Amino acid sequence: MTFWDTLLYDLFPLIWSGMITGCLYALGALGLVMIFKCSKVVNFSHGNVAGLTAFLVYGLSSGVLLSLSWGAAVIVALLCAVAIAFLIYAIISPLVFESDLTSTIATLGFGLIAQGVTLLLFGADIVALDLPIPRFAFSVFGLLVTGYDLTVLAVAVVTIGALFIVIDYTKLGIAFRAISENPFAAEVCGLNLRSVHLFAWVTAAILGVIGALLIVPTTFLSVTTVATFMLQAFAAAVIGGFASLPGSLVGGILIGVLMNLFTFYVSPEFSSTFLLGIILLALNIFPNGVLQRVGGSRV
Amino acid sequence: MTQRLQDIAASSIASWIPVAILAALPFIVGGSWTFTLGLCFANSIGVLAVSFLVRYGGEVSIGHTFFTALGAYAVGVLDTRFGVSLWASVPLALLLGVSLGIAFAWPSRNLHGIYLAVTTLALALAVPEMINNLDWITGGYEGLYVSTPLVPGVEMGLQRYYLGLAMLVAVAAAVARFRLSRQGMTLLLAKTHPAAADAFGTRRVWARIAVMGISGGIGALCGATLAFSGSTVSPGGFTFWQAIFLLVGSVVSFYGLSLVRVLIGGAFVTLVPQLLSASGAWIPVFYGLSLLGMILLGHYLPRIQKTLARRKGGA
Repeated sequence: MTFWDTLLYDLFPLIWSGMITGCLYALGALGLVMIFKCSKVVNFSHGNVAGLTAFLVYGLSSGVLLSLSWGAAVIVALLCAVAIAFLIYAIISPLVFESDLTSTIATLGFGLIAQGVTLLLFGADIVALDLPIPRFAFSVFGLLVTGYDLTVLAVAVVTIGALFIVIDYTKLGIAFRAISENPFAAEVCGLNLRSVHLFAWVTAAILGVIGALLIVPTTFLSVTTVATFMLQAFAAAVIGGFASLPGSLVGGILIGVLMNLFTFYVSPEFSSTFLLGIILLALNIFPNGVLQRVGGSRV
Repeated sequence: MTQRLQDIAASSIASWIPVAILAALPFIVGGSWTFTLGLCFANSIGVLAVSFLVRYGGEVSIGHTFFTALGAYAVGVLDTRFGVSLWASVPLALLLGVSLGIAFAWPSRNLHGIYLAVTTLALALAVPEMINNLDWITGGYEGLYVSTPLVPGVEMGLQRYYLGLAMLVAVAAAVARFRLSRQGMTLLLAKTHPAAADAFGTRRVWARIAVMGISGGIGALCGATLAFSGSTVSPGGFTFWQAIFLLVGSVVSFYGLSLVRVLIGGAFVTLVPQLLSASGAWIPVFYGLSLLGMILLGHYLPRIQKTLARRKGGA
């Protein structure tokens, strides 16, 4: 096999599937960044809460709790995610204005609780949760594209596109940007910090559910699956500078591709160590995120 | 200032009373409690390492299992592979902890607050993976069994208990001394007034590296004690959750550095999983609730006290 063959048969599929997973990391990272941008809190409960809602979808549609249709289960789970986001924000909101670090530690507490509740409701077993999508596959230039890939891509494009439109063109989005830029001035101008924070938390929760539902079909669902997935999202957010929405999109795709290449060419056993290396390297070379150097602007 | 120093001296004398009580305990309680308390002392040192970073560096770490694993495996490997006792492996653990603390602090020297927290999180996640993949030296999943006695002839259970106690007392005393030292003051100044410290010639980066090095060293001592007092070293003791639990212990003890405070934190980390071992799913719930409870208490207590004081003053 020549060099070009290897490139064609290994590298391109790896980059393609890395980009698909990267879109999901970006969905997770966008949620983290939205919360961080406006309230300076890192939401460590993101992964565990999203995992809990994925389990809710499983429980509601498989007959463990109820036997609803998949769509109905997703709607109920989304409502639960929003309710949980409300609850978490309601409890930590007095801390948010005092110390961002304290409220960040508080979100760790919620993550622990969400994990415990998942264990209590569904146990430590591994379950399968699939998406109701058509199964087909075709190949383009030797690249195998599946229905799952296209679904992920479509959902990610639509969700992220909608989010950017909301943030760029609606009043709520303008309020969000104003508060991220200068909370004090925004408050003086009559904006309600708490309602904008709440908007960020709720949006993040919804993004988390979408990301969790899309990532689960590639593996399986257990208490730690989604939490582990969200750790890549953390890395994506860090690479994007943690305060830049387009940055986290780029970071997500970058992490997806790099992790894929690393596990294939180097070693699948040291992926977390590799992630640590990427984070340290990225923070030293691009302290404000990969996009800061290039464009200097942020949404 | 002298008043404050006297206060600190008085509090260190006061902390000798619990030490005396703890030293007498093995003669009162049963063997299983002696073992658990030994672990409790070890975890208290870990809580102290996390609290030290908070107090002197103003930073939060979710990755201290990296340092505890380092210390524990230094002891475990030297013991099982080379039959070297603690006399040699503890200094090695300390050295490793300090140097890797510095090695980690250097690339992360410019990170603060949540950025550092996320980086330590990545560090904690890499730990179990490293242990399992270096199984030719770490023993992989099976772990290592530490059995070489420190003092030949003395019953092993008692050795495990008293080593834990002695290490905890020594580390807590050293940290208390450090608070009075010139270096300790410098680090505190660098944390509270970075510009002033800079003017006195203490660079921020240096302060960060020093704090991280010391905290890493204390973390490694925790691991070394954990290995000897707990008798086994396995990857299960250094999971990501364990790292979070150390932080929870630190929060529960209100980031205290005194012996009694860290003992509370260590007891929390050790005893809660033991007491709830029959219903494992409740452990994260309980930890989460206590973490939130302590944070909210720390937030609301001063306010409630103020309101009460105002009412009393008004009446």
